[in-house]
Amino acid sequence: MSGFHEGSAMLLSNFVLPNDLHVHWSMMIVLYPYITGLVDGAFIIAALYYLFDIKTLKPVARFSLLFALAFLCCATIPLLLHLGRPERNFNMLLTPNPSSAMAGFGYIYAVSMGVLGFIVLFVYREDLVRLKQQSRGMMKLIYRLLTFDCDDLSPKAMALNERLIKILVGLGIPVAAVLHGYVGFIFGGVKANPTWSTPLMPVIFLFSACVSGISAIVLAYIVIRKLTGKAIDGPCIITCIKTLTGFFILAFSFEMLEVFSHSYLKSGYHHMVEGLLNGPLAASFWLWQVKICSGIPLVLLGVMAFIKLSQTRYNLLAAGVSAILLLQVFIMRWNVVIGGQLMSKSARGYTVFHPEWLDKEGILSVIVVMIIPFVILFVLGKIFPFWSDDRGESID
Amino acid sequence: MSNYALRLIAVATTLVVATGIGFVVKAQLIPDSFGKYGHYRANAIDEEVQRPIRHGTNTSCLKCHTYEAAIHLKGRHNTISCEFCHGTYADHVSNGKKSGTLPVKKNTEISTLCLRCHNTEIKARSQAVIKTVAMPQHLESQEVKLTHTCNQCHHVHAPLKYINRAKQITGLTEAES
Amino acid sequence: MKIEQAPPQLNRRAFIKKVLKGSVTGSLLLIYPMGGGDALDMLQPSTMPDMPEQIPGIRGKAYNIHERKFAFIVDITRCIGCGSCCVADKREYNVPDGYYRTWVERYIKDFDDQVYVDCPNGGLDGYQKPREDIDVQVRDTFFVPKLCNMCKETPCTQVCPVGATFTTPDGFVLMDSDRCVGCGYCIQACPYSSRFLNPVTHTAEKCTWCYHRVRKGLLPACVEVCPTGARKFGSLKDETSEVYKILKGPGVLTVLKEAMGTWPALYYLGARLEVI
Repeated sequence: MSGFHEGSAMLLSNFVLPNDLHVHWSMMIVLYPYITGLVDGAFIIAALYYLFDIKTLKPVARFSLLFALAFLCCATIPLLLHLGRPERNFNMLLTPNPSSAMAGFGYIYAVSMGVLGFIVLFVYREDLVRLKQQSRGMMKLIYRLLTFDCDDLSPKAMALNERLIKILVGLGIPVAAVLHGYVGFIFGGVKANPTWSTPLMPVIFLFSACVSGISAIVLAYIVIRKLTGKAIDGPCIITCIKTLTGFFILAFSFEMLEVFSHSYLKSGYHHMVEGLLNGPLAASFWLWQVKICSGIPLVLLGVMAFIKLSQTRYNLLAAGVSAILLLQVFIMRWNVVIGGQLMSKSARGYTVFHPEWLDKEGILSVIVVMIIPFVILFVLGKIFPFWSDDRGESID
Repeated sequence: MSNYALRLIAVATTLVVATGIGFVVKAQLIPDSFGKYGHYRANAIDEEVQRPIRHGTNTSCLKCHTYEAAIHLKGRHNTISCEFCHGTYADHVSNGKKSGTLPVKKNTEISTLCLRCHNTEIKARSQAVIKTVAMPQHLESQEVKLTHTCNQCHHVHAPLKYINRAKQITGLTEAES
Repeated sequence: MKIEQAPPQLNRRAFIKKVLKGSVTGSLLLIYPMGGGDALDMLQPSTMPDMPEQIPGIRGKAYNIHERKFAFIVDITRCIGCGSCCVADKREYNVPDGYYRTWVERYIKDFDDQVYVDCPNGGLDGYQKPREDIDVQVRDTFFVPKLCNMCKETPCTQVCPVGATFTTPDGFVLMDSDRCVGCGYCIQACPYSSRFLNPVTHTAEKCTWCYHRVRKGLLPACVEVCPTGARKFGSLKDETSEVYKILKGPGVLTVLKEAMGTWPALYYLGARLEVI
């Protein structure tokens, strides 16, 4: 480090403002956009099938809806764990401040929950009616509720059902985009923090959300089908990976564009951002997020796009790429949320973050919060059959 | 219209009604003074006003401590708050009655306290604002033991009180407080 | 510098809106004698026998919250870094260890334009020793007291999702700790890091310029204990007050992080450009 332009000059004192020593938004706030991102991406897969008629996605379409629902159910858990006074969470609904980006959360969340919930009910209608007739006792009661206690499967009713699915999915796309884009905006709108304050933030968040969601669906589909000894649909995986490739190129380009803009513009706080990426975040940003978790997937996706592989090998690579990309998005969230707070507003120094194991926002909590959606997914699977071939029909 | 359509209309109506009820309940739960001046609870201003005062003023202290008042108010330390060295008024008086004893600094504690302001080593202090000394050079130049504490020569409430008195007695110079 | 620069949004429309709002609220105030900033009861001189009025014109009068205006000026050239203000602040509010409503920084500038800042324990213990970790020829060195900037374009109140922090009509940015959910968004939004999450109450907390004292005609605790007059507070309605005179004069006042567009109401006298 030498000279002003290397960003060393103003950092020598490494002065952190006394109140900046604490990282106020910790791992739960990393987890929250990660979860809503998974919801978003999974929903995109469903939307591509139900709204844009990409027929090859049929095998995963219903599953992605359930996957999105399971994760959406858990989106508030990290927030409640994070809040200093979680018992007051209803204040967000009672007196949402119209000038605050965060205030919309309660209502946006309620709407997306409603939309997604009804989409699932409409999509599963035929199965639900059939299962209702087959089941008894408690399950029968549940199915009666889920079919609105109506067995009408007449062509007229089903036509209406189809139309409603299209309308709700159409509505769901902006809702999902708002639900997650606004999370990006919560960061992008903080002018006091030079790494966050960029209009690119919601865009980056949206694209990386699609990446994580689609990766999750691919990985979950392959793993669950393998474990249950069912066939994996080749064309479906190929379409997913192609979509994933597109979104990942966009996400990665924007992530890099943001860094490039900072370093090219050399604006007032550039020395701080540069020092952050090359200092405290050198390992988690350059090594993990960029080199390992973006570089390797780009190469692998390229191989999958240009080289003819057997379906088994393709599926294996698909699962591998998806796993790495899931990690990439998580690390990206970490670098944005935690990394952004390591810079003191003194513009002269960096603080450190030590994750704890047993804290309410600690590593153990993160693990538990990430397990809950899978438990919910398992329970949902008992009510809503994951795959359209569960009835014994063949996959189209 | 199909059976299903009718059922869905019922579901939708229920949802709309439930949402409506939700908003009515919400309106009931908003605190009374919310929105009087802006998007906040105006009564929070009053509550902040009611916060107990912990620091008094030097007048509050010197009203009873008349002996110290006579010295403190005449000395160069008259701008120093009693409570900085001794603790807050609220820890000493409540409802007009003495409720607790405040500490009085002793020996080396006093020197530490003095040097908090008067240490020459801290260059950020403007000499126009405060007179600073270097330790132990000051003790050496004044030819006193290095174990001397500041208050052995300087009255803590009026630092030049004894010095000037001594100068007056020896006829060295005119008094300066 | 003018006494008060108009915040950027004060165009004609905003002005008319403000006048209308003012007259509507004004007429409502005539009808409803209610609480919410207008309480007077315990502010009478009789209940505070030991404490003479320090800000004239407040006690024994109806407090019109829309009429009042105050100013806080920090004179860097007079700060000696004794930390009295920090101690007083901690005691006035029982601020938990490790968190600061106000603090004092020490700046050291060398001949290469390098700036070294430190602030051990927020200045609570004063500055007893010179910095030993740097070996440079000092060009300029000074102390900078920091506290809430009471921004007129307030980023923290803007982002509060529940309206738990707000700017009072008399210009103070306060917290409603009964409604705060502890999300920490205001802490992220404050460019000056004046806010923190109180580890005991789990709600956000900040400097209030001692609103509870000001409303009783007393100076903020930090101003009260400052031995050198580096911290100055007063009413702008009082033409004899020091702050009024400074603000009326030619002045070399600056604010912190002006480019943030926060329009701080906290002014600095003698702040070098390295102070942010």
